[in-house]
Amino acid sequence: MSKREESEMASDVEGRAIAYELEGATRWYGDGAARVAALDSLSLTIASGEFVAVLGPSGSGKSTLLQLMGALDDPSSGTVRFEQRLLGGLSEPELAALRLSAIGFVFQQFNLIPTLTAAENVEVALAPLRTDRGQRRKLALGQLDAVGLASRAEHLPGQLSGGEQQRAGIARALARAPRVILGDEPTGNLDARNGEMVIDLLEALHRELGITLVLVTHDHAVAERADRVLGLEDGRLVSDSGLGDRLEVRG
Amino acid sequence: MIYARFLVAELRRRPGRTALTVLGLAIGVGLVVVVGALSAGLDDAQEEVLEPLAGLGTDMRVSRPLAVPSGGTSGPPDFSALSEREQRRLKRENPDDLFAFEPGELGSPGERFTTFQALSSDLSFPESTVARVARLDGVVAAVPALSLQTVRIEGDVPEENEMVNPHASYDITSLNVTGVEVGNSTLAPVTQDQLVAGSYFSPAVAKARGQVILDAAYARQNRIGIGDRANIGGKRLQVIGLAAAPLGGAASNAYVELGRLQELTDREGRVNVILARARSTAAVDSVRREITGAVPGGIVTTATDLAERIGGSLSDAKDLSSTLGAALAAVALGAAFLVAAMLALSGVQRRTRELGTLKALGWRRLLVVRQVSAESVVQGVLGGLLGALIGVGGAALLTALNLSLDASVAQAGAVGFFGQGEVTSRSAEVVIGAPVDLWLLLSAIALSGLGGLLAAAAGGLKAARLRPAEALRSVE
Repeated sequence: MSKREESEMASDVEGRAIAYELEGATRWYGDGAARVAALDSLSLTIASGEFVAVLGPSGSGKSTLLQLMGALDDPSSGTVRFEQRLLGGLSEPELAALRLSAIGFVFQQFNLIPTLTAAENVEVALAPLRTDRGQRRKLALGQLDAVGLASRAEHLPGQLSGGEQQRAGIARALARAPRVILGDEPTGNLDARNGEMVIDLLEALHRELGITLVLVTHDHAVAERADRVLGLEDGRLVSDSGLGDRLEVRG
Repeated sequence: MIYARFLVAELRRRPGRTALTVLGLAIGVGLVVVVGALSAGLDDAQEEVLEPLAGLGTDMRVSRPLAVPSGGTSGPPDFSALSEREQRRLKRENPDDLFAFEPGELGSPGERFTTFQALSSDLSFPESTVARVARLDGVVAAVPALSLQTVRIEGDVPEENEMVNPHASYDITSLNVTGVEVGNSTLAPVTQDQLVAGSYFSPAVAKARGQVILDAAYARQNRIGIGDRANIGGKRLQVIGLAAAPLGGAASNAYVELGRLQELTDREGRVNVILARARSTAAVDSVRREITGAVPGGIVTTATDLAERIGGSLSDAKDLSSTLGAALAAVALGAAFLVAAMLALSGVQRRTRELGTLKALGWRRLLVVRQVSAESVVQGVLGGLLGALIGVGGAALLTALNLSLDASVAQAGAVGFFGQGEVTSRSAEVVIGAPVDLWLLLSAIALSGLGGLLAAAAGGLKAARLRPAEALRSVE
């Protein structure tokens, strides 16, 4: 039985569509003797609607994995498939369209545009959709309301607390109704209370909307909330817990 | 429009950078406008200077200048190319040595003496040549004139055998005088139109013989007014008019009746200038050829020739504006373009993570490039508008300063044959404006827009090359 067949069987067993499928995904940086593998022959499958935490120390390849899954980077070798589409085979506009329609990012540093208000930051994410101004505004305000920031819509990021900024970031990620949210240390810059609030919010969205949630973290408390925890070390997958033996760990 | 809001917010977010880019382009554009306006002003000034000639587009001046001896501007003229008769004639009209006179003959040693010499760098010809020219095909009028330099030498008669350095011992003053046929007040070395004060010669030759018209600048300089007497060739003539000096007219400080000047300088029946008028401007070239054939050695000068001989500070300023000014504007604009491009590049560098975030949010590369480029273009347009304002202000300041320059036309061939070492010339003073026309402004703004586009291209290309993953890893 091929690995692909095993994966398909796994998804059949789970009864859910496959969101991600990585086969021998490797990403290295530098050349020659200076070449460093950030990810080393990683193979895994993530089902649609899963809440997956990726746990590992700094430099273990967590963020690189997230960038490959977010269609922001190409593997040096191996393949990454999203909803069965081979990302390496897509053009730049197709990748942009995919990120626009299906993938939401939540960043550790929030990455809000400092000169725009919270509402405008959400609108910027909607801009390429060519919705009319009124509708875009309504959508943006609706998303901010959903994350409890309706009253802070016209505030600049600098006028918001860290937790509020991250909630604005989540509203921005959700604005385009993505099927996947990829969070890179979303609580990394927050205190415990705000961090928990943000995870509560993401988990609720995952449960209510069925969004596939992949969070990179080194916080075990966050990882415990996930359905499944992937352990990375030196770019290799060293553990995969939470889905028991239904998914095979390879790599 | 969120794109516009984003753009404005970004420009305001970095006011120093935005101001530097806009100001850099504005200064470049302002300089282009000022230099362009000044150049237009100088063109206008030149046109103004040549305006008297423009009305006389069919007029030409015929003379027979001597060739300047090669190898220097002093020494005796080279008469060898002339016929023996002409050589004799010229030598009679122009003594080899200005001081060839015998002071002892002017009085007793120690007595005060005054003597006059009349010199010409042009060969003279009989007045009958004028009638021959007038009969040529295409010529509607031809009038004679005699243009001379009178030199007044004043001093004490030296003792016998006393060695005298004439330049040190005698008081020498020279005056350019032109003899005018008074019957024609429109085609003449000085015309009715040139008068700025007083009146023109009396048409009656007998009366005109006692009259003189002075160049207005010369009269002002020597504090001579209408009604005063002026000493011309030892005769005191009444000043009846003051004339502005048009470029291209015979170089003269004074104009007298032709016959009187011939008489005073022992040149009866001789003239050295013919002013001729062609039937039309189209006929000028053929008339010029005809005249050259009819007057051996004759040089025909037209208005076009004179325009090419415009000299003086006006010409220098024009050269300066077209070379240094243009170079300065080009360098300033180039520097502004470079600064704008560098700032656009560093702007992209500083915003790497932000641009990476936009890509992560699903912005296509083209959209990111458009956003970055639009900022540069807007800065270019702002720079253009501000530059236009600076330029208009600078040009208005130049106009308000009422700068004046002088324009002159050197007379051909009159370079110190006879020791006096003077170049006769006619000059005029003109006020320089700096008019700004709409096209100049629009062109300048377009130039700034081009600078913005270049900066946009630089920034846009850099933004396009950003790989989202690397951009997101960057630390701002």
